[in-house]
Amino acid sequence: MSFDPKILGIACNWCTYTGADLAGTTRLHYPHNVRVARVMCSSRINPAFIFRAFVLGADGVLVGGCHPGDCHYSTGNLYARRRLAVTKKILEFAGLEPERFRVAWISASEGNIFAETVREFTEQVRNLGPQTKLAAQKRMLA
Amino acid sequence: MITKIGREKLQEFVAGLMKSGRLFAPVKEGKGTNFKLITDPQSVTLDFYNTIQSPKAVLFPQSEDLVNYNISHDGIASEPAPIDDGSRIILGVRPCDVQSFEIMDRLFNGSGIVDPYWSARRSNLTIIAYAFDRADPVDFYNAFGITGSDEQGSDILMVRDTNSFLFKAFTDKGTKLLETMPFLEKGTADDEKRMTEIVDKGRDIATRTLDTAEIHKRLAGIFDSPYWEEAAAACLNCGVCTYVCPTCHCFDIQDETLFGEGSRRKIWDSCMFSDFTLHASGHNPRTKKSQRLRQRINHKFSYYVENFGIISCVGCGRCTRSCPVNIDILTVVEEAR
Amino acid sequence: MIQIEKRLREEAKRLLETKEAAVVLAFGRGFDEEHPMPLILRKPSDAEKIVFNEYCTFNMARHLTEFPPGTKIAVAVKAADSRAVTVLIQEGKVKREDLIILGIPVAGMKDFRSGTAIDATTTGPAVNPVLYDILLADLLPEPKDVSPYDVLAEIEAMSPDDRWGFWSAEFSRCIRCYACRKACPLCYCETCFVDQAKPRWSEKSPSASSNMMFHLTRFYHLAGRCIDCGSCSRACPMDIPLYLFHKKVSKECEEMFDQAAGMCVDAKPVMVDFKVEDSDDILL
Ligand code: SF4
Ligand code: SF4
Ligand code: SF4
Ligand code: SF4
Ligand code: FES
Repeated sequence: MSFDPKILGIACNWCTYTGADLAGTTRLHYPHNVRVARVMCSSRINPAFIFRAFVLGADGVLVGGCHPGDCHYSTGNLYARRRLAVTKKILEFAGLEPERFRVAWISASEGNIFAETVREFTEQVRNLGPQTKLAAQKRMLA
Repeated sequence: MITKIGREKLQEFVAGLMKSGRLFAPVKEGKGTNFKLITDPQSVTLDFYNTIQSPKAVLFPQSEDLVNYNISHDGIASEPAPIDDGSRIILGVRPCDVQSFEIMDRLFNGSGIVDPYWSARRSNLTIIAYAFDRADPVDFYNAFGITGSDEQGSDILMVRDTNSFLFKAFTDKGTKLLETMPFLEKGTADDEKRMTEIVDKGRDIATRTLDTAEIHKRLAGIFDSPYWEEAAAACLNCGVCTYVCPTCHCFDIQDETLFGEGSRRKIWDSCMFSDFTLHASGHNPRTKKSQRLRQRINHKFSYYVENFGIISCVGCGRCTRSCPVNIDILTVVEEAR
Repeated sequence: MIQIEKRLREEAKRLLETKEAAVVLAFGRGFDEEHPMPLILRKPSDAEKIVFNEYCTFNMARHLTEFPPGTKIAVAVKAADSRAVTVLIQEGKVKREDLIILGIPVAGMKDFRSGTAIDATTTGPAVNPVLYDILLADLLPEPKDVSPYDVLAEIEAMSPDDRWGFWSAEFSRCIRCYACRKACPLCYCETCFVDQAKPRWSEKSPSASSNMMFHLTRFYHLAGRCIDCGSCSRACPMDIPLYLFHKKVSKECEEMFDQAAGMCVDAKPVMVDFKVEDSDDILL
């Protein structure tokens, strides 16, 4: 069976999540691989969520927030940008393929961009194959 | 009877031991040496003073499954984890560390409550002790009547000569093991003499020492002394001292679950950690580092003596050598008056 | 160094006598000359217990957060240590006015465990404190053309798989004693994420993934804050080169945000700050 990646999406309530909703209501087709968790703002994302997702076997993580300048809380995503950038550098230096992690700014009206991003990112992760580096073994102490 | 093997044949000897049971022996790791399960005879080294971590993990691993379980919509299925009790051999245990097994036996096997994990492995253990040929300045095993070439508690004593290793068995188990080893030569009269010389020299190695008389009473008497604040002032409350120690044995039991599958595990814990005594209510009766250091010293030199009749320290010096701030357990005990 | 020791004793005595400081954080004798200990003084007469030699590598900023707020503390700091004090001030953990900073310009420190010299491969190369009230020796010329990040070249050049292999091997030795965390002046959290039970971020049992979870998250927590004192790595009983990872994160932060950690008390640590003009390129 071909590899069907598991991707964690984390989207802010006000823009990306609403954008994802729009993609749904306008019946845009996009792959089912991204399971979206909603947070109130991209600045709610603790980088440990991302590390933990990989430990729990995610093949990729996609974070979505409002465009810089448009955050519902004004500056949340400006903090988040720095945090997520450092998170990515850490994953990369540890030796995880940085292509497994992406941040996208997607507004509430950009349902089509949401669908397109998910399509593209899913393909990218699919090409990388299963993430086995950080993923915990079932029997952790094996 | 003495047997011997040339240094160049060490690997063959190791390979022989591997056939008789699971072998744990010193392996270079980072800048130090540690006991590891041996899968490649070449990895073993006998050029070390003492390992960073003690050999206790051979019988008491840092994390061990007690119960395996599976949580699903149908409920919880669980079964006791099988006890991994196959026969084990440890090669290269220093005489002070050999004593630590006897000390731990009193707790895990002699207190009326038997720890099946420790006990099953303990009775299947063969210890090849390795005499010291010098002393590190922080060791103090002499304080407990242990000498650098003590065979007490071991099945076989190994010593290092210039170009060979010499062995002498002290138990049936040890004798049998040596008999099955290929490449072992029978020692000559000269070798007998060398062995005696080396053992005598080992016996004369002088470490630091300590007046242990009535020590538990002395410590009990100063429980509330401000001394502990002073002694612990530099302490970081890391767990290094307890994790490298051969006689520290505290553990925690935790469930570790991943997608419904998991194990209830027995995992090393440390009295130096602030959450060691944390209650579910949030109350913590031991909030200060002075209380934690006092606990470590008292557990070893006072409570253990009262409960099991022996000091729970063998003077291996590991805690002092590995402490990031150079807290020396011997100094702390000596100055505790 | 003898001169520094003398000055340190004088100042400690004076500050305690005049009650300008209630506590002095300095260095004292351990079980021998080559193994000193952090020393926490409260009595002027104890000043003679102060020792200073090349093995006094402790970052005494580590102990600053142990005292009740408002305690007047005099703290002896070397170059990197002073940056840790700066970060603690920036983060509101200590108040500038409660501190008397005794600056020690010094080069040629040695690791007491290995006896080897401490250089820019494991620690920041600077020799002068960036923040002090009293200087205990003349400022030294700063080493030229030495970058704290030169040591990274080899690992940066590895393929992701090789780097993964490298770190997996290093972290496989981790026994989760948390000495790295406890030696760090900036790991002051009352409850570390790794000790939290709900949620459980990382299993207590050491394993490839739980060790990685602990370390990656800790590296993140030190991002833009780590001042390259090397204490964590020197404290590690298993010789895990944590400094390499911390240096890499610091380097990236400096490149992306144009600010090194702990250089100026008025600056904000980069991870609790932003600039509107930060580029999205940093996310690539
Ligand atoms: S190793 Fe040293 S600093 Fe760490 S807890 Fe033990 S005594 Fe304290
Ligand atoms: S307390 Fe220290 S010296 Fe005593 S057995 Fe433990 S590690 Fe060795
Ligand atoms: S992470 Fe290490 S090098 Fe950085 S400040 Fe903490 S102890 Fe010093
Ligand atoms: S000090 Fe070393 S062994 Fe201990 S937790 Fe930190 S990295 Fe692991
Ligand atoms: S609310 Fe969307 S990023 Fe802050």
